[in-house]
Amino acid sequence: MTMAVKHELTRAAAEEFIYREVRLLDTLELEEWLALFTDDGLYWLPIEDGDLADAADAVSIVYDDAERRAERVYRTLHTPVLDQSPRSRTVHMVGNVEVAGADERGDMRVLCSQFIGELRPGGQGQVGLNRTRVLAARAEYRLRATPDGWRMSMKKLLLLDADQPLYNLTFVI
Amino acid sequence: MVAAPELSSTNLVLDRPDTFQVHTRAYMDADVFAAEMGRIFGRTWVYVGHESQVPAVGDYRTTTIGRQPVIISRHEDDQIYVLLNRCRHRGSVVCREELGHSNFFRCPYHNWSYANDGALVGMAQASGYPGDFDKGEWGLRRAPRVAVYRGLIFASLAADGPSFGDYFAPVQKYVDWWLNRSPAGTITVLPTAHKYPYPGNWKWQAENGHDGYHGNYVHESWQRLLERAGEAPVRDIRKYRTGGCTRGFAFGHGLLERPGGLNPNASWTGRMMVRFPEYAEALRATYGDDEIEQISARRNIFVFPNLYLFDTQIRVINPIAVDSTEVHLYVYGLDGVPDALNQGRYRAHERFYGPSGFGSPDDVEIFVCNQTGLQASGVDWVLLSRGMHRERVGGDGEVVGHSTDEVPVRAMYREWERLMSA
Ligand code: FES
Ligand SMILES: [Fe+2]
Repeated sequence: MTMAVKHELTRAAAEEFIYREVRLLDTLELEEWLALFTDDGLYWLPIEDGDLADAADAVSIVYDDAERRAERVYRTLHTPVLDQSPRSRTVHMVGNVEVAGADERGDMRVLCSQFIGELRPGGQGQVGLNRTRVLAARAEYRLRATPDGWRMSMKKLLLLDADQPLYNLTFVI
Repeated sequence: MVAAPELSSTNLVLDRPDTFQVHTRAYMDADVFAAEMGRIFGRTWVYVGHESQVPAVGDYRTTTIGRQPVIISRHEDDQIYVLLNRCRHRGSVVCREELGHSNFFRCPYHNWSYANDGALVGMAQASGYPGDFDKGEWGLRRAPRVAVYRGLIFASLAADGPSFGDYFAPVQKYVDWWLNRSPAGTITVLPTAHKYPYPGNWKWQAENGHDGYHGNYVHESWQRLLERAGEAPVRDIRKYRTGGCTRGFAFGHGLLERPGGLNPNASWTGRMMVRFPEYAEALRATYGDDEIEQISARRNIFVFPNLYLFDTQIRVINPIAVDSTEVHLYVYGLDGVPDALNQGRYRAHERFYGPSGFGSPDDVEIFVCNQTGLQASGVDWVLLSRGMHRERVGGDGEVVGHSTDEVPVRAMYREWERLMSA
C-alpha cells in the first residue's frame, strides 16, 4: 500500500527541521546539509528582498542551485581554500518560527528570524581574524513533504545588512 | 586641498633600472593617506558612476570622491551634474540616500533647497537675508570638471590638470573593445551591487586586479573547482594563464590581458558566440575578424586611481582610511544580447565574485595578510620589480610585460609618485 505523503506541517515539526539544519552548519556536516535540499532546491541570499522569480535577472550574494551548492561544499571541505583557512566557527540561533501556509507548488512556507555568530580564529595580531561577528537575518524556508521526510525546496536568508559592504561570507550561512 | 606632509618620491618609491620598490609607509601611514586624498583623489579624474544608474531626469545617486561626499544627478536639461553633497549654509549633507528620484535636494537642517543641477532655489524664512542676497552665488558646489565617456562618468575636483581626453587616451581603445562586446555598444548597470569592505589599504585592491602572478596560488581552490566541473584540468588552466600580457600606461593605468580570439576554448566571448549564434551574427555584422579578436580578449582594465573594468562588473575602489577600504562591484548587462547570455554572465559573476563567491574572498584574504605583514617595520620595502629585465615598449608607447609581471603596478606607482611629490 502506498501512503499518501502528508502535507501538514506543525510548528514543532518545522522547528525540528530548522534546528537540525542549522546544527549541521555549526558542526560542519555540510554533505548531510546538502541532502536536506530537494533536487530543484535553491539556497538564496538576495541583496534586495524580492521574488525568487526575479533572481535570475539580478545578482545575489548567493544563488545556489544543486550544482553550485555542491561546489560550495566541495571547496569548503576538499580544496585548499584561503578564505576558509582558518575556517569559520558559527553558532546559529533560530526564533520567531511561523508556518505560513503553502506556496503555489504546495511547499510549506516557514518564516523565522536567525542570529548567526561567526569567528575565524588565528594567531595574535592577524588582521581580519579573531573577532566575533553577529549576522542577523530574516529567513524563509520552503519545505516539501517527500517519502524521506521534509526537504527544503528553498532556504532564503535576507541579511539585515544584505545591501551593505559584507566581509567574507564564505562559510555556509 | 590637504596640505601634504614632507614626502618625496625618493622616500616612498624606489625606481631604478634594476629594481622597483615601494615603502611600507605608502600602505601604513595615515599622513600618506591624507596626502593621497588631496593629491590624488582631489586632483585626478575619478570614476563616479555610470549613466544607466541615473537614467531619468531627477534620478540621483550619492557616492564619494576619495572621502568627499558627492551626488551624481540628472537635471531637467538631461545633463549629468556631480555636486558636492554639502549645504552651502552650514555644511550638512543635503542627501542621505544611496539612490533615488527627486525634483530637488532639501537640506535637513534649515530647509535650504537646491535644484538637481545644484542651483539654490530657496531658503526657509528668507526674510532673514537681505533682498539682494545672491542665490546664484550659493548653489551646491559642482565638481569643477565632469566627463562622460560612453556612459562612464568621471569627475575631477580640480579645475586644472590634464584634460579628460589626455588622461583617458592610453586606455581608450581597450575600453572601446570592452564595451563593444555589446552589439549595441552599451551596457546597463544592475540596480544592486556586490560590496565588500576590508581592513587594509586601498592600493592592495588596485595592485591585485591586474596581477597575473597570484592566480595559481591564491585561486588554487577555484582551479580545482573548474577541474571538478569538467571545464578544464588544472594543468590546462595554468598553461593558459601564462598567455596574454600585462600593459602599463601613462597616468597610472594598466591592464592584464588574456589572449582573445574565436577559439571558444580560449575566450569566454568566443564561447558565447558559439552558444548564441545570433550574438555572433550581431558582432560580425559590425566588426571584422581582427576587431572581434580584440573584443573577445579578456582584460582587467585599471583606470587610475579607483576604477577596474572586468568581464562582468565595474569595480570601484573606495578608500576609507589608511587601513580601511570598500570595494563595490557593479554588475552590468550587455545591451542587445539574448537574456540568457546576460543571465549566464550574472551566474558566472556570483560564482567567483562578491562576499560569498569562490574567488574574490580569497583575494581579500591576501589584502589582510599584507596589512598584517607590513606591521613588521624592520623591513621597509615591498618589491615590485618582477619582469623589469624582460619588459618591452608596445605599439602605443606603453610598457608590455609577461602576463605574470608587475608592469601595471609599476605604472601605477610611477604616477602615484609623480602626484604625491608634485
Ligand atoms: S545647514 Fe543646510 S540649511 Fe542650514
Ligand atoms: Fe585574484
